[in-house]
Amino acid sequence: MRILDEKREGLYVIRTLDVLMSSGVGLEAALHTIGQGGYGIISEDFSKIMKKLSSGNSRGIEYEIKSMMNTAESDGYRRLLNTLYNNVTQNTDIVETLRKQGSRLEEERAEEVKKYIEELGGVPETLLSIGMIGPIILSIAGLIPQLLTGDIAAFMSIPDPDLIKSVVNGGLVITLVGMFFIGLKAHTKDPGL
Amino acid sequence: MFFRFLESFNSEPLLLYLAVIGIAVAGGGIPPMIELNRRRKIENSLPGLLESLASSVGAGHGLQEAMMEQAKNTPGLLSELLLQTLEESHASDINSALTSFSAKTRSSQVQRVMMLIETAMDQDAPLQVILESLSHDYERLNDLINKRENELLGRGILIIMFVSVGLPVLIAFIVGLFAPASAGFKLDDFNATFGTFFAAASAVGVGVSGRMLGRLKGYLWFLPLWMAISMGLYLGAVKAIGGG
Repeated sequence: MRILDEKREGLYVIRTLDVLMSSGVGLEAALHTIGQGGYGIISEDFSKIMKKLSSGNSRGIEYEIKSMMNTAESDGYRRLLNTLYNNVTQNTDIVETLRKQGSRLEEERAEEVKKYIEELGGVPETLLSIGMIGPIILSIAGLIPQLLTGDIAAFMSIPDPDLIKSVVNGGLVITLVGMFFIGLKAHTKDPGL
Repeated sequence: MFFRFLESFNSEPLLLYLAVIGIAVAGGGIPPMIELNRRRKIENSLPGLLESLASSVGAGHGLQEAMMEQAKNTPGLLSELLLQTLEESHASDINSALTSFSAKTRSSQVQRVMMLIETAMDQDAPLQVILESLSHDYERLNDLINKRENELLGRGILIIMFVSVGLPVLIAFIVGLFAPASAGFKLDDFNATFGTFFAAASAVGVGVSGRMLGRLKGYLWFLPLWMAISMGLYLGAVKAIGGG
């Protein structure tokens, strides 16, 4: 997932840009260094920018950064691209902004980890509840044709055993899907450490 | 009696396949666990090493000299690897020593740090400030990783215990008590369906537990074994309680 990769690499990219630019490297050279690899999806993005610039088909680095902002999925990465864009167009103090952004991103990451741990706190009990209620009801339903026999069966119309079997199978599949979706938040809300 | 009990599972080929595959594959899950432990030890000692390097560089030593000094004086796996690399590469330049060191650690954190140090040296950036800043960054990162690990490990184990062990045994108890095969209940199809369900539920549980801790790939090695355990527990408990 792109957003996870952006979150995971964002802070490292900011720190590297900080080191490079505070020691006098220009923006294009810094983007080129990161584009060479080691920073996942962000390296791929920067590499694309550099390829377009060197091919001569680009209108300029500012347009490439701006178009990359539409591709970015995480707020942190979008803010970083915005900082780079402002530096190119308005000659802002990029090193200072990068440092502030790095601290902010770090705080956000700590908050996200805390939230992630809190949100996953109830998952074991929820999985057990869903996984227990479904099979208990469905096991009774599945045994109805055998439990209700003799005189009771004469008073009640028991559905066809094949229909009951289909209902039980369907119910168990729905239970599994439910359990899967409860567990899915362990993946979607990952803070990307 | 034990062998007769085992033979009673002959009509459950899925359980037998899963058990055989599970036992065979589980061995593959041990090296990633050992490697993870080793990597975490290295990563946890990285901020300390960076801080010491920053102090030495601040005191006027060169990076290579500072590294040699710290490698000799600091205990731990990271220092051992650093000393080994520096001794092996005394004739080559510092950049290739750093690259070799980061490759030996097999840690992405160390690789990133070494790459940044190399870049900083190439650009003549202030090393002391960078090392200090990196030390703080990675200390905070490792604190977060350790916190996640400590707080979620118990919950991850609880999920596996609830879903793979508790759930099949509970349902087996209910089925075995209220519809025992010894009383003439025909449960072959029913048990096959529920056995498969518990295997699948166990797979979901193990997957969620692994993803929670950020080591899904490592947990996948144990997936077939847990599926077999879950299925076996259900079918075994139903037979043990309900007879047949």
